[in-house]
Amino acid sequence: MEKQIFDFGMNTNRRHFLSKLSMGLGSAALGSMLIPDIFKGGEADPSEIIAGLPHFAPKAKRIIYLFQNGAPSQLDLFDYKPMLNKMHGEDLPESIRGGQRLTGMTANQAKFPLAGSMFNFKQYGKSGAWISELLPYTAGIADDLCFIKSMHTEAINHDPALTFFQTGAQVGNRPSMGAWLSYGLGSENKNLPGFCVLLSRGKGNGQGVYSKLWTNGFLDSVHQGVQFSSGENPVLYLGDPEGMDRQQRRKMLDKLAELNQGTLDEFGDPEIATKIQQYEMAYRMQTAVPEITDMSKEPESIVKLYGPECLVPGTYAANCLLARKLSEQGVRFIQLYHQGWDSHGGLPNEIRGQCMDADQASAALVTDLKQRGLLDETLVIWGGEFGRTNYCQGTLTKDNYGRDHHPRAFTVWMAGGGIKPGIVYGETDDFGYNIVKDPVHVHDFHATIMNQMGLDHEKLVFKHQGRRYRLTDVAGKIVKDIIA
Amino acid sequence: MTPSAHDSIISSFWKSVFYNIAFFLNGLLIFLLFFEEQFLVPSWMEPIGRMHPLVLHFPLVILLLYASWVIITKKPESKHWHPDLSRILLLLGVFTAVIAAFSGFILSKEEGYDAQALAWHKWLGVAISIGSVVWYSFLDYLPPWRISAKLAAGLMVVVLMVGGHLGGNLTHGEDFLTAKLIPQQQSEIKIDIQQALVYDDLVQPILEQKCYSCHNDQKTKGDLRLHTQELLIKGGKSGMLWDTAQADLGLLISRLHLPVDDKKHMPPRGKPQLSDEEVMLLAAWVRSGSRFDLRVADLQATDPIYTYAQKLIGGGRPEEIYDFPAASADQIEKLNTSYRIISPLATESPALMVNFYNRAGFKASDIKDLLPLKEQVVQMDLSKMPVQDADLKLIGSFTELRTLILNFTDLKGGGLAELKGLRKLRELSLSGTRLKLDQLEALKQLPALQTVYVWSTGLSNEEIQKLRSIPNPRFETGFKGDTIILALNPPAIENEETILKRGDLIRIRHQIPGVSIRYTLDGTEPDSIRALEYQKPIRVEKNTTLRTKAYKEGWYGSKEQEKLFIIAGVPIDSVRLVYEPEKQYRAHGAGTLKDGIKSGPSMGSGQWLGYRNSDFETFLYFDKPIQAQSITISMLRKLDSYIFPPTRVEVWGGVEEKSMKLLKVLQPQIPGEKSKDLANESYTAEFPSAQYTCFKVLARPLAKLPKWHRGKGEKAWIFIDEILVN
Repeated sequence: MEKQIFDFGMNTNRRHFLSKLSMGLGSAALGSMLIPDIFKGGEADPSEIIAGLPHFAPKAKRIIYLFQNGAPSQLDLFDYKPMLNKMHGEDLPESIRGGQRLTGMTANQAKFPLAGSMFNFKQYGKSGAWISELLPYTAGIADDLCFIKSMHTEAINHDPALTFFQTGAQVGNRPSMGAWLSYGLGSENKNLPGFCVLLSRGKGNGQGVYSKLWTNGFLDSVHQGVQFSSGENPVLYLGDPEGMDRQQRRKMLDKLAELNQGTLDEFGDPEIATKIQQYEMAYRMQTAVPEITDMSKEPESIVKLYGPECLVPGTYAANCLLARKLSEQGVRFIQLYHQGWDSHGGLPNEIRGQCMDADQASAALVTDLKQRGLLDETLVIWGGEFGRTNYCQGTLTKDNYGRDHHPRAFTVWMAGGGIKPGIVYGETDDFGYNIVKDPVHVHDFHATIMNQMGLDHEKLVFKHQGRRYRLTDVAGKIVKDIIA
Repeated sequence: MTPSAHDSIISSFWKSVFYNIAFFLNGLLIFLLFFEEQFLVPSWMEPIGRMHPLVLHFPLVILLLYASWVIITKKPESKHWHPDLSRILLLLGVFTAVIAAFSGFILSKEEGYDAQALAWHKWLGVAISIGSVVWYSFLDYLPPWRISAKLAAGLMVVVLMVGGHLGGNLTHGEDFLTAKLIPQQQSEIKIDIQQALVYDDLVQPILEQKCYSCHNDQKTKGDLRLHTQELLIKGGKSGMLWDTAQADLGLLISRLHLPVDDKKHMPPRGKPQLSDEEVMLLAAWVRSGSRFDLRVADLQATDPIYTYAQKLIGGGRPEEIYDFPAASADQIEKLNTSYRIISPLATESPALMVNFYNRAGFKASDIKDLLPLKEQVVQMDLSKMPVQDADLKLIGSFTELRTLILNFTDLKGGGLAELKGLRKLRELSLSGTRLKLDQLEALKQLPALQTVYVWSTGLSNEEIQKLRSIPNPRFETGFKGDTIILALNPPAIENEETILKRGDLIRIRHQIPGVSIRYTLDGTEPDSIRALEYQKPIRVEKNTTLRTKAYKEGWYGSKEQEKLFIIAGVPIDSVRLVYEPEKQYRAHGAGTLKDGIKSGPSMGSGQWLGYRNSDFETFLYFDKPIQAQSITISMLRKLDSYIFPPTRVEVWGGVEEKSMKLLKVLQPQIPGEKSKDLANESYTAEFPSAQYTCFKVLARPLAKLPKWHRGKGEKAWIFIDEILVN
């Protein structure tokens, strides 16, 4: 009897279950009609997309990033705010600051006196971009530039901000932007690295740069940035030792490659393959690099264009010229750092000197690329890691002031590379403190740059320690409005 | 089940109240309809009219319910029929129907509705109201099982449906109900930004979505209809829609810009509003002359309308589609070398680009080898390769080329005509080649050519001017610079050290070829005429200040470069300090003074001896007597860091320590407020030449900083790094 009751229960349950199931199926069927893609499965795993080629036809093939290290004052160069001159010396209204946390350098100031720029501004070009008298050459190419006045970042101190700009994360050890592009696109010229770094130093208050900014992170080490130095040997350890000629070097490399290949076959460590490639590239670089770093063949019109300093190795002007030559030879990403923009005090004097270094050569680079027909395929970017405050750090006098770090709004410009020329994008409030229109976050900036290079920033991923990483982390929107 | 009066849900009193009110209102409605022309809605009544969209749903539902009930009731004794409840239901229907009809009548007096559609709706509404009250009146003669009742119910249903639908059309637009069923052509056809018209594809859709519902054929609020171009131009009751002479661009734009709370703001509050971009677009269109034939493609990329179009239509300038077949991967792989890189434009693109490198290894056959790929190569970069005019014929067979870069090749320009096969070539870079103006004529045969780069080609200024006036193709002539005069940078003094041995050479360098380096050693200004011209390294025999400048034709002279060189003294055998230097600035003690190393300008370099609270006093000993006539003390001046020159320097000397005589006293000036810092300040005491074995040197720091200094009244520092005996 018990068994029968049990069986009955089972049967009814089964019948019940089946009938419910059919209902369930019915609703699922209906549901699937309403959401057609539900059973199709997701998109292909992005990590399966082969790196080394653009995802779509690129607008730009190469980037020259003129990084103004230390953060130039946007309020003295581009973001013209007459309101600050009108209210010169008055306290920054709390409603504008909005309780923002400041750096330790000014947080304890009793007052935040607004400091109007002591430099004159004028409008230039079709877009009527405001540019200060400190940048006459930049003003001269205003019609080629796209000014983004609404950049903002998350970090308020140099190291994290710089690391964030370069790697998309404030903590270290992520691959740098140049490494990502080298990974995503490969090198154009097999005789030169895909990612080169050039350093120069202005007379203003400087902030350090370190090799973590051009690291390959978890990517293959071929993607690491190669630093060019200003001495007799631009690339260290590239020359052959005395007494060794080219043939001997070749023979030695062949033997070495044989040994390395053996180890590679045995252990299969990709780093060994990288090593073999690196040796080969270094061999080819031995002839390619001296040709590039030799400035003696540059015509006088080029010297006049970049300014006479461009022949003095290690100057910003020389680096701009070198960047053009490297880029012309197919180096994907050339990262310049010009130090000395961190004007906490004595800003007017320091920024004059910095602009003397940077203005002519930056503009010259754009003009030079343009006259060679290369500006369309080369994206030039100019800017720092954040902006500077509208209030004075330290004592405000008639002809002297300092400015602290300001991550909420600052200006960068871009030229070429399929970016709209001659426009001004974004806007800050009358105090130059907050963005009121079209903010561009660092992630958005990265997404846009990658888009110009033919890469989908959401698809260029690398799986490392169980997680897929992107330059733009989990954010980033392409700023379509600045794309030509 | 038969209900009696006393157990009805509501008492007959209230039933008759409702019935009578309904009857009365219907009478009033008929009356008003008779005298419609004379009727003016008093303003207090307008809200009643506007309640129409709310009220109308009650009679609609209630009467439909009642009619359906009647239709399904078959037999008199049906259990489902409830005479009392049904009667109340109909009464409610009657009552609400007349209120709906009455309010609708008032609403219809407001302007802006299409007369024809409105007429049908109005009369059907009135018919429902009157019909239902008649039905209620004759309810006892129309029990539900009678065929007549069923006919009345059926008629009621039809009238309700039709009238309701017409009402819906009036508010939401004629095709509101069916719009989504009929495939919309606009969303199907993807608009090409190259073909798009500003009005048809950008402006009209906004008007359609946000404005048409009130300004169309049927509903002409403000006498304004927007749905055709002619009617747009005509404007409405308040006049023309735009006036570019006015700052606010006229009615259309100013109404959009008013605050939402403003009565005149459009669209009215509660209706879907235009986004900021849409307002911006309409304003930009009006400002540009409100042309209906304006093409998006004709606009600048920086035009706000273009930006909007790009966002809406997407993509931007469309990506080029290459319809030729892809080359085989093996073929590409085979032709790829370290100096000839072939790569696809993008993943899965059949188009290829080729870059050449390494001038020394280049052969013309490197191009020829690529011929199997001539159907696929769209970009070729041969810059700096020794390409000859004869090679252009070969290049001319790559008919798919869009971009060709020949900068700094060995071209002389004679072969440009051979490129005539490049029907798709858009960009041609010839910068840095030696071509002549008339050779560029040949490029006229290239139909797609847009830009030619001819910077640094040896063309004269007049020829460049001529080229610049040609609109198509555009000639990019670049920067010439021969009329620009800049200041040179100063020469670089190669010697890093300050202390030289007698007879050492000073080397000066300038990177710009052809520069004349002028210098002086006597402290005078190095001008471009009298000063010495640097030809070979300069030999130094004594302490020397080198001043130098660079000059060149076509440039302004450089700033001056100045450096002091000190001749290393006789080696000192031992040194003793009388007082210890201050704690942070001890360098490596007494030996610092004779190590021959000149410290840099940084006070923390670890090469400086610093004194503040005591004098600097030192004894210098020589094992054997030496012939000497001067002693130089090398110091630092850094005024802001409190480092000043000494106020007094004494030099004592003799053949033995106990019998030394005062040889010389120096009393340097206290610097003024505007004095410069000096990294190589030095004081030289000269005295009669004689034999010495021992010297004493004393230097006294300033006791009180001058008034202009930020540390006024405090003690100053002195910094010493070297003493030289000559």
